[in-house]
Amino acid sequence: MKAEPKRARFQASTLPHLDRLVALASRWADGHEAEDYVQETYVRAWAAFDQLRDTGATFPWLCQILRTVANERRRTRARRQGLVFITELEAAHEEMIASDAPSPLDELLARLEAGKLREALRSIPEEFAEAIELHDVHGLKYREIAQITSAPIGTVMSRISRGRRLLAGLLAVTGEERAKREVAT
Amino acid sequence: MTEAALDHALLVQLVAAFADGELSAGEARVVQEHVRGCARCQRELTLQRGISAALAEEPARSASAGLRRRIEQIGLPSPRPSSLPWRVWATPAAAAALVAFAVVGGAALVSIGVGRAGALIARQGQAGRPIAEIPLLRDAAADCRGAMARNFPRKPDLQAVSEGLRFAVRALDRPDAELFSTWKTTLAGAPAVGLAYRWRGIVVVQYAVPPELIRQQPEVGEALRGAGSYSTSQQGQGIVASLVNGSGMVLVADAPLEELRRLIL
Repeated sequence: MKAEPKRARFQASTLPHLDRLVALASRWADGHEAEDYVQETYVRAWAAFDQLRDTGATFPWLCQILRTVANERRRTRARRQGLVFITELEAAHEEMIASDAPSPLDELLARLEAGKLREALRSIPEEFAEAIELHDVHGLKYREIAQITSAPIGTVMSRISRGRRLLAGLLAVTGEERAKREVAT
Repeated sequence: MTEAALDHALLVQLVAAFADGELSAGEARVVQEHVRGCARCQRELTLQRGISAALAEEPARSASAGLRRRIEQIGLPSPRPSSLPWRVWATPAAAAALVAFAVVGGAALVSIGVGRAGALIARQGQAGRPIAEIPLLRDAAADCRGAMARNFPRKPDLQAVSEGLRFAVRALDRPDAELFSTWKTTLAGAPAVGLAYRWRGIVVVQYAVPPELIRQQPEVGEALRGAGSYSTSQQGQGIVASLVNGSGMVLVADAPLEELRRLIL
């Protein structure tokens, strides 16, 4: 295979996803470090490009590589800014959903902002946060997330569903201050 | 639990997937019907959709111009290695570099950065045989490609990969080279160990191999007896084989040679 045609195909397939990958990398690292992750992802992707059979699946493929790079690099680094009690959040969510009065849910929905949710994502367990981000922020389908995370699609479904409930519970009971409080799962 | 409650307990788990359009038509119909008559699930649906929509509004980060430029250069052939004469490798500085590397341990080192392209042609001086005819180099390059394609699945464990081997396996003693994966493999029919590092934005793979394996390789053994090392390069990837203090070493680099020398030195 000639290098230049391969390079042209590589660029055509992968470069359109560069910004999205940087955005995704920012969930694991900040600034230059996130860009380092992405650069290494592209280096590995170039080396393995011949293995990519379906160019329509390039983004999930790149995500999978990026995820591996990130997992390797942040071995000892805690991403969780402040974990919260899951049971407490689930109870708060349950209370809100069970209530016939519309106000708690309406109030919560009125307060929903991407920035606050992003912060809240850092306080729920990683597997829930990852699935939600890949779907809601980066627009991946469940089957693509299953491929990236090496999890069954039913698990992805459960993580997204339960993760959003945890977010709702977190926002309902903790407010911005308590979202940063560090507690254990 | 009543049948309705049981239905609810099962179907509420599918509300998120329903909101995301991830259910089959049949499943979606069942959930939709249930939601119509279940106030809790209606609220759950509203909540799931609300959170998803709010997160989707987040402004995306963009790649910096520098990162984009660096990534656009991936795959560009290095202008130097293909025209680099053998004598560059035979200079005292290069020889010192090889010796310095050899102190690290008898090993084959494969560095993957930018610019792998096509089959590699072995070269000693101005001519040489294709790498495909040199089993150790052929297998090292192929194993490296395979490890890269699998995205280096194994975590580093030098002790585990060294067990049962009759030659020493030593990791590079460089603070800027971060070992992140090791694995056992076979090169040219002999046991070998791969060690992958992250080094200055590229992935470097080192193979530790028995010294006699290098001596047995066609053309390589003769070059070792003469110049003390064997070197080849094409389109950005270089390979150096050496035998120092009884330890065999092969160095394969997909980075520009000056980058490789920085690693060795």
